[in-house]
Amino acid sequence: MNEQTPDPALRIRQGMDYGEHGDVQEVHAAIQREKLEPRVGLEPLSMWLIVVYGLAVFFGGAYLGRYSGNFSGDGLDPLGGPPPAKKGASTQGPEQQAELSPHDRGKKVFNANCAVCHQATGLGSQSQGYPPLAGSEYTSGGSRRNAMIVMKGLQGPLTVKGQKFGSAVMQPWETLGDQKVADVLTYVRSEWGNTGGPITREQIAALRKELASHPASFTEPDIQAVPPDAELPGGEQGTAPPKPGEQAKPGAPPKK
Amino acid sequence: MDAAEIPLKAPPVPTDVPTSDTEQIERALIDASTRVPVLMFYTSAIVWLLLGTLLAMLVSIKLHAPDMFSGVSFLTWGRVRPAHTNIMIYGWASMAGMGTAIWLMARLCRTVLRHPLLIITGAGFWNLGVLLGVGAILTGDSTGYQWLEFPPYVAVILFVAYTMIMSWAVLMFRFRRGDRIYITQWYLLGAFLWFPWLYAAAQLMLFVVPVQGVMQAAVNWWYANNLLFLWFGAIGLGTAYYMIPKVIGRPVYSYHLATIGFWTYALFSSWTGMQRMIDGPFPAWMITASIAATILTIIPVATVGLNHHMTMKGYFPLMRYSPTLRFTVFGAISYTVFSLVGVIISFRSVARYLNFTQASVAYSHLGLYAFYTMVIFGSMYYIVPRLVGREWRYASLIKLHFWASVYGVGLMSLMLLSGAIVEGTNLNDASMAFTESTQSILPYLRGRSLAGVLMTVSHFVFAFHFGLMLFGLGRTASVPTFLNPVESEGSEAHL
Repeated sequence: MNEQTPDPALRIRQGMDYGEHGDVQEVHAAIQREKLEPRVGLEPLSMWLIVVYGLAVFFGGAYLGRYSGNFSGDGLDPLGGPPPAKKGASTQGPEQQAELSPHDRGKKVFNANCAVCHQATGLGSQSQGYPPLAGSEYTSGGSRRNAMIVMKGLQGPLTVKGQKFGSAVMQPWETLGDQKVADVLTYVRSEWGNTGGPITREQIAALRKELASHPASFTEPDIQAVPPDAELPGGEQGTAPPKPGEQAKPGAPPKK
Repeated sequence: MDAAEIPLKAPPVPTDVPTSDTEQIERALIDASTRVPVLMFYTSAIVWLLLGTLLAMLVSIKLHAPDMFSGVSFLTWGRVRPAHTNIMIYGWASMAGMGTAIWLMARLCRTVLRHPLLIITGAGFWNLGVLLGVGAILTGDSTGYQWLEFPPYVAVILFVAYTMIMSWAVLMFRFRRGDRIYITQWYLLGAFLWFPWLYAAAQLMLFVVPVQGVMQAAVNWWYANNLLFLWFGAIGLGTAYYMIPKVIGRPVYSYHLATIGFWTYALFSSWTGMQRMIDGPFPAWMITASIAATILTIIPVATVGLNHHMTMKGYFPLMRYSPTLRFTVFGAISYTVFSLVGVIISFRSVARYLNFTQASVAYSHLGLYAFYTMVIFGSMYYIVPRLVGREWRYASLIKLHFWASVYGVGLMSLMLLSGAIVEGTNLNDASMAFTESTQSILPYLRGRSLAGVLMTVSHFVFAFHFGLMLFGLGRTASVPTFLNPVESEGSEAHL
């Protein structure tokens, strides 16, 4: 390396630019003023830092020991339950779902599928042609009309609560499956002050067979042809107190 | 604002700085040898940063306005998001980090950069790789693994480029002069060797000899988390260990703390990653081991944090003047925050609410932005004037850059973390439909977009300022650009 000392006057010259001067000895001011390359001090470890280390090792180790699942290659349970218990745990999923009431399950189905048009409030939208479900004569009476509409859909003019609707078409929802259709009907018929009774999966299954050959959406005359208090076979009687004989029939079985 | 507003007095001829003329000439030679490669890395990185920022805005806005550009296939969310993350990781963060690392390595090894042409070629290849990879992602040829979306042929290009770049950076260490090896060199050398290990292991286990089933997710998260710690984290910490004592002109507090901090960091952080998949279908011990390792990262965090704090003690007022110090110290503090947030969200009881929500995005940004990117910005404010021979033109732009970044990343983390708590609580509510629970985070996502605007402003301001420097439009003065006028005589003049 060239040890030649640069002229001190040159050192504080301002505005050096390597692009203009080939001579690297014309050192940029930034280099002249900068501090020494960093060095390291030798302060000792403080006591409380060692305490922090101890605590971290203790809690880390304790956590590892507590939730290791016995280091088993197929144990998904951090507490390391015995294998039979794990088998039991794996069947808990559907059971937990079944713990939700039909009403709550229906709410989820409704919010995911129906609320787009009928709104979460069940009031529909007059301007866009979506009839209300809250307080509607179709959702509070007999269950049959209700279930027919949901299964096959509805189109054409319709009068609900004295107002004309007709611009929108309701699609058939039978592809949701019996359980979900039953749940959502149960929800709609008991929400927003509606007074319809619950509907079971078996009732929908029976209706599905009955309507299997029905090709397209229903229209208002089709629905009007059914008496307003007609019930699906096998269910409880609308808002009326259940008859003693029907109590014996299986209600909504929890299994899917 | 003009240079006239910036300080002040002509610097005294530095009598109190005991650097000999030989040392100054040596530094000048080193800086001259690193000039083109480092500036090339910085320029490419900043171009990628701008591109990634624009994509980030798109990603953020599309989350609450999904119809925007929904008709354009290459601007759909599923493509724009990986394009954003990969540009930021491989384009911005890696390239800027490599630029800083090369300069630091040359300075600390007291050796000129040999064969800079190879490094320049490497940088070119790296750019080509990122460009091809991003093109592949946008045209739909993404692999679908988080942070590894580039198709395998791009990985080959990146690997070749990396070999060209880093073999020479490692060779500098071989040709070092002087008998001391400084802390920064430990971290940088570690990072240079850890990155190829991580990248090769992930590529091998995902594409060459793919592991089966859910273990692919385990490999993927191990890679992502370790890239954050062992590649970006190591470069960031190494840079902070250099910049803080260098600017304030005081030795690092303790060698012992630095040793413990380094080795425990290397040991524990390589075990982390699985905690991101709590309640996933993995053997419980894998996840638990990662959580325990995350708890143990408190040791390096407390040690390094204390070391930096004690070094800075009494010198905090200097942050008022020095841009480098302000960015670096903010980054170093964010490192502690980032790590503690990482520990908290890794507990099973907390992860029950925050796992698989926006909290993971907040965590990544705390690490990659609030900590790493801010430290790298700080190093750029220090290094670039030494490479172009000019001082930063406008103190006001530096201040704008700093505050927009700080408020941007702060607001963003706050929005995403609090939004994640709301979203996670709703997701756990069985009577709530999925769509309802995801809608509950919408206001927070809008807030995040606002934060994104701040960060976009800060990046464009910085890019403009950097462009001025690059085209020789910086100030020609022998005093550095202070953020605020220096009122009293003191060491500030040497920042």
